[in-house]
Amino acid sequence: MDFYFGLVQIIGVHTLLGLSAYIVLLTGQVSLAQAGFFAVGAYAAGMLTVLAGWHLVPALGASAVCGAGVACAVGFPALRIKGLMLVIATLAFGEGVRLFFFNFDYQVARGDIKVGPLGGEGFRQIRFFPEHGWTTGEVMLFIWVFVVAAMALLWWFDRSRYGSVLRAVGEDELAAQSVGINLTAVKVSAMTVGGAIAGVGGGIYAHYTTHIEHTSFNILLATFAIAYPIVGGLRNVFGTLLAVIFVQAFLIEGLRFLGDWRNLLFGALIVLAMNLRPSGFLGARRRA
Amino acid sequence: MLDFFQSVSDGVLFGATYALIGIGFTLVFGVMHKLNMAYAAASVGGAYAGLLVLKVMSAAPPVLVFLGAFAAGGVLGWLVYLTCFHFIPLSSPLATLMSTVGMLLLIDEIIVHVTEGMPQNYPAMFDDVMLRAGDFTMRGDLLLVFGVAVLCMVALMLLLYRTRLGLATRAVSQQPVAARLCGIRLEQVNATTFIITGLLGGIAGALIGASVGTLSPLLTTPLTVKGLIVTVIGGLGSVPGAIVAGLLVGGFENVLQLYRGVTERDLYVMLLLFVFLTFRPDGIFAPKGGRD
Amino acid sequence: MLELQALSRHFGGVRAVDGLDLNVREGQIFGLIGPNGSGKSTTVNVITGLFPPTTGKILFRGEDLAGLPTHRRLRAGIARTFQNIRLFGQLSVWQNLWVAQNSAEDQARQGFFARWLGGQRGVRAEIAQLLEFSGLAHRQDELAANLAFGEQRRLELARAMAAKPKLLLLDEPAAGMNSEEIGQLRERILKLRERGVTILLVEHVMELVMGVTDRIAVLNFGQKIAEGTPAEIQAHPAVRKAYLGGDTA
Repeated sequence: MDFYFGLVQIIGVHTLLGLSAYIVLLTGQVSLAQAGFFAVGAYAAGMLTVLAGWHLVPALGASAVCGAGVACAVGFPALRIKGLMLVIATLAFGEGVRLFFFNFDYQVARGDIKVGPLGGEGFRQIRFFPEHGWTTGEVMLFIWVFVVAAMALLWWFDRSRYGSVLRAVGEDELAAQSVGINLTAVKVSAMTVGGAIAGVGGGIYAHYTTHIEHTSFNILLATFAIAYPIVGGLRNVFGTLLAVIFVQAFLIEGLRFLGDWRNLLFGALIVLAMNLRPSGFLGARRRA
Repeated sequence: MLDFFQSVSDGVLFGATYALIGIGFTLVFGVMHKLNMAYAAASVGGAYAGLLVLKVMSAAPPVLVFLGAFAAGGVLGWLVYLTCFHFIPLSSPLATLMSTVGMLLLIDEIIVHVTEGMPQNYPAMFDDVMLRAGDFTMRGDLLLVFGVAVLCMVALMLLLYRTRLGLATRAVSQQPVAARLCGIRLEQVNATTFIITGLLGGIAGALIGASVGTLSPLLTTPLTVKGLIVTVIGGLGSVPGAIVAGLLVGGFENVLQLYRGVTERDLYVMLLLFVFLTFRPDGIFAPKGGRD
Repeated sequence: MLELQALSRHFGGVRAVDGLDLNVREGQIFGLIGPNGSGKSTTVNVITGLFPPTTGKILFRGEDLAGLPTHRRLRAGIARTFQNIRLFGQLSVWQNLWVAQNSAEDQARQGFFARWLGGQRGVRAEIAQLLEFSGLAHRQDELAANLAFGEQRRLELARAMAAKPKLLLLDEPAAGMNSEEIGQLRERILKLRERGVTILLVEHVMELVMGVTDRIAVLNFGQKIAEGTPAEIQAHPAVRKAYLGGDTA
């Protein structure tokens, strides 16, 4: 049973990652930076619970704020970069964040041992869940409260004027400007919301794996983030969820049969999915 | 002071490989307005495939290994074209992008599995040759790397500007619809572009392997990022830009390694990218023409 | 309402618009015609803020528009349609109108929260009106990309109207229309004038221009070569020369 709880936990965290890319993708910005915001949230929450003794929930709030803040800072220069250049720039940014944490040391003594992030070795002993006696099932439910909340938020956005405006910007910036839409506000706000969601996802991730290091936040993770909404389609948030379930279930199941060829499977899966359904599982509504 | 010039010199020579990778990215972008994220991985893959020559002929001279990498690169390039660009409608840019990322991961994993994660030694040529001028040295193998890279670039420029294929390629990059109306077969030009950049990539991978001495799958990510940085700094779509930018990044990176060490070095290369994006987003040589 | 003073826009060596003086009075339907390449679309683009002028001034209701970004100009009351329709194809007809409600009036009326995240109730009546006016009510949930060409043109116009403009710039709205459609367009434009909208009509289709405008300016190579009532323009020798070239009896 624990195995399945673990799988559902991973699906939950990856859904948050995917959702953070989804809202940014609606505005037409292909961002490979979400893993970077995720990393910021992870280290922030970890440091707050381990080094400052915070409870997890306010620590996740701080993750959201940190993720949002960094994303907002990225959002402004991103305005000046179009299309594929943005892909490259966000990729480089994500790598920059990873390299930053690779070089980041902040340890504090707790009794005999030192805790805190230690450069290449990472950040160990993020033990909030075990220390407070949470079972795997309880952690899973906790994660999914946030996932459902994020999905509900984005679903609400989608049905509101904001959602239509996001998509209008994604489709035709020139026309959007000409009907009075403030591109800066829309694109930066989407990036910021995405950063907040990724931050929360990262904070949760840090706590259920109890040990994070820079290699976890690499290009592969950035790819997962953007792959989910692309493979899932942009019609609504459920596409992203479906894509996460599809990919993770395949990978985990694939683990059983193919050992650690699963990453290979992931690559092949994406290539296949894109050839068969270029606009994603739940792609844009059919054109007549 | 000497150290500075030494590291600039070494860096620029090595930077020729970055230039080749950058050319690969920028050429595909120029012709198809798409990013081939799998390019650096395919180059490394080509280099690995070159090692197969040694499997067949254990005492093969390095030249044959390089030629093997060259050929393998071309094959891989064509494969990437087939899986990512041939069937997927070009009007789905996200799908093609994602597909190339998928290929990047696939190629990477195949390399890891086939080699069981062990770095492989790569044959070098002239690695015991050193040109000296007082304390200043130029490694023979780096000079070879630079020389071969320059040869490839010259060959490419000749191809682009002196042959009909090159003419067709440039036509497609400027006006694909009109090019088709003139009877140019788009698929052929696109596939050929991939094969040619693949060939260049294979050589680049082999040259990198030769100058570093070993090949490892860990090479792929930093090479992808740096190749893209070179492309952006040089101007998306500009081959001369990629050349200049490659040499620039190579020299810059090496100098920074001298003063700040290896771990911080890559961060500064990122910073260089952001400086360019802020002040000169179109790159050193902004591409001419272009649609819409 | 709209005053262009010595407006110029150069692209490198090309003088797309060259020293243009124009004065459009409130409530007028003002036509802007000229051969292809004469600078009509560029003029519209500069007025809406897509390019800054190289020299010259644009005064809208007395205020200089210099430096004001495009979306702010919309809020100030200038809306436009596009020559090659730029609808949001993936949004429905209804949504296309919804996202365009960005006038100063709309902003003041509802709070931030209600406007962006609130439901559709507050705006249903207004959008229904726009749909009624354009004859698109029966297609309101259809994707804009799936509309017929004529319907798309009507939506383009309705979307510009959703912003409650004081000045409406129409960029070749009659292109590709048949006589009947042109007649309907004419009626719609006249109705808009009745509602108090000033209109600058850039057009090639003479049937529409001569039949609906109060005053016309003629451009050639970026310069104004004639201005007057439709009748005056039709008789004007310089205009004839620009369109037909050489001397015509």
